[in-house]
Amino acid sequence: MTSKLGTRSLNPKRVAVLSGVLVIALLLDLFLKDVVPDSSIRQLLMLAACNVLVALSLNVINGMAGQFSIGHAGFIGIGAYTSAVIASHLHQSFGGGEPTFARSFIVVPSCMLASASMAGLFGFLVGLPSLRLRGDYLAIVTLGFAEIFRLIIATAHADSASGSGPLARIGAAISSLGGQNGYQGTDNTGIPLYAGPFWIVGLVALLGVVAWRIKFSGWGRALRALREDEIAAAAVGVDPTRYKVTSFVISAAGGGIAGGLMAIMRDGLGIVNPDNFNFQASFDAITMVILGGSGSVTGSAIGGVFITFTVKAIELLQGSSVVQDLRRSFDWLDLNALRMIIYAMVLIALMILRPEGLLGERELFGTKRS
Amino acid sequence: MDLALAHVSKNFGGLRAVGDVSFTVKTGSIFGLIGPNGAGKTTVFNLITGVYKNDAGTMHFGGHDLRPLKPAQIARCGIARTFQNIRLFTQQTVIENLLVACELQKRAHLTAAVLRLPVHFEDEDVMHRRAMELLRVFDLDKVANESPTALSYGNQRRLEIARAMMLEPRLLLLDEPAAGMNYGEAEGLKTQIRWLRDTFLLSVVLVEHNMQVVMGVCEDIHVLDHGVTIAHGTPEEVRAHPKVLAAYLGEEEDEGA
Repeated sequence: MTSKLGTRSLNPKRVAVLSGVLVIALLLDLFLKDVVPDSSIRQLLMLAACNVLVALSLNVINGMAGQFSIGHAGFIGIGAYTSAVIASHLHQSFGGGEPTFARSFIVVPSCMLASASMAGLFGFLVGLPSLRLRGDYLAIVTLGFAEIFRLIIATAHADSASGSGPLARIGAAISSLGGQNGYQGTDNTGIPLYAGPFWIVGLVALLGVVAWRIKFSGWGRALRALREDEIAAAAVGVDPTRYKVTSFVISAAGGGIAGGLMAIMRDGLGIVNPDNFNFQASFDAITMVILGGSGSVTGSAIGGVFITFTVKAIELLQGSSVVQDLRRSFDWLDLNALRMIIYAMVLIALMILRPEGLLGERELFGTKRS
Repeated sequence: MDLALAHVSKNFGGLRAVGDVSFTVKTGSIFGLIGPNGAGKTTVFNLITGVYKNDAGTMHFGGHDLRPLKPAQIARCGIARTFQNIRLFTQQTVIENLLVACELQKRAHLTAAVLRLPVHFEDEDVMHRRAMELLRVFDLDKVANESPTALSYGNQRRLEIARAMMLEPRLLLLDEPAAGMNYGEAEGLKTQIRWLRDTFLLSVVLVEHNMQVVMGVCEDIHVLDHGVTIAHGTPEEVRAHPKVLAAYLGEEEDEGA
């Protein structure tokens, strides 16, 4: 282990990998349209990448720290709305037009930074009180938080913002987010979609490396110790509250970035809707992590891709003529509603066959821990 | 740094686990805390290390008032401990168990680790070397990359002491380190405890039932029974103390009844 540390600075291999990723990201940005002409498939690929970020971020708190958050959609939603609003306003100040690649270097980083900070801030506010306590408080509080967030956005409308004062101003701001119909930019023509494949691939690579390094740092070691035995970890100086809250904030900020990307990704819908961040979305995120293997960075990423494609496959199956024909005689047949049942069955099968998830805590490519 | 407890009490509901216990552990001494099962010895450890909060009394270590501190802060003050029922991190390797214990001495924290700053590698290098040195001291270096569950009981106990030593403590609390050891192993433990004290210049508090170890290594002994102090003194004084004999062997009236 120690001998490896000798070759740690910028070695040629690392430079090659880095520039390789940059080149691939750039090429994808320029030519994905030609390689994949179908925009719905492009959308799916982009969504899969965003969901990798969802899974990676949730894995920090649910996998590495061993806490159970079931409201990740709340942070994804905060990130999505933050980026949607900022991208729209920046776009407007640029004078509208088509989102250009050059402008994206201003828009995307500002959006990501704002989404991460906003979600991270809420992560701190939610995490600090609930993580000071032992037990399942986090699960309860996160679930409540995500639903409160969704319902506040969904039910806010213009007349709820009467009067003056700071509360009314907040009310006005929230009601400008479109309520139940969703937010579609400053002039309701859609959120400007600045984040092309360059940004998506780049951010997945970047945050993948961050997640990896968190896991294999001394900090990740302390988290694992804490997960296993809080009293023993505290006795050797690992402060449970500090480590748990920090990992929760990291997780929330990551979820915010994932949501932000979803809102402004190219080939996206151009709209963020409160219903995208309901309990189903949180549950999907948990399934990604558990399926891939709690605590495994690569496993979570695989889980993210898998769930994205499964959801799409079920949707396609639902739309296929066979199912549509069947629906004429059996009108109760709704595969989207059946998704929960299919997931549940997959999860039950997994619990029996591989209780630790696809990869367990291991990683796809080998590394020595610590 | 002296550890000073004054009139410390702790109740669990109506049960008095520790009542008005006072003692001082002098810097560099080996101090024995003994008593029959349920005497409150481990509770005293849990109070010192902040796992429980005392209901009354004061606890000071050097200049630190321990009462308001959380366990992790107490560890930072230089108090390390082992547990009666061994608490190792079984999902990590032997050396990782030691490395967890040095997080708070690192200069490089999470950001440095994520950015892979030089200071992160320097820290990891230093910590690895220190961990290996300690493992050699406890003769565990050959199993550094094994899981602690693969170790024998005695080795698990030694690993727990090694992990505690990683904190560079000024005070080491050992909770029944000789439990489950045979005569030879217990003799070895005595030598090790003395060696630790002399090498690292720390104080040791020992909760132990094994009288061979207690009488052999402790310079000062405090005897508890049902949460209250019944005797205090050198091994010779304590051994001859009538209350201690009564607590351990039962009173004569009891035997007659």
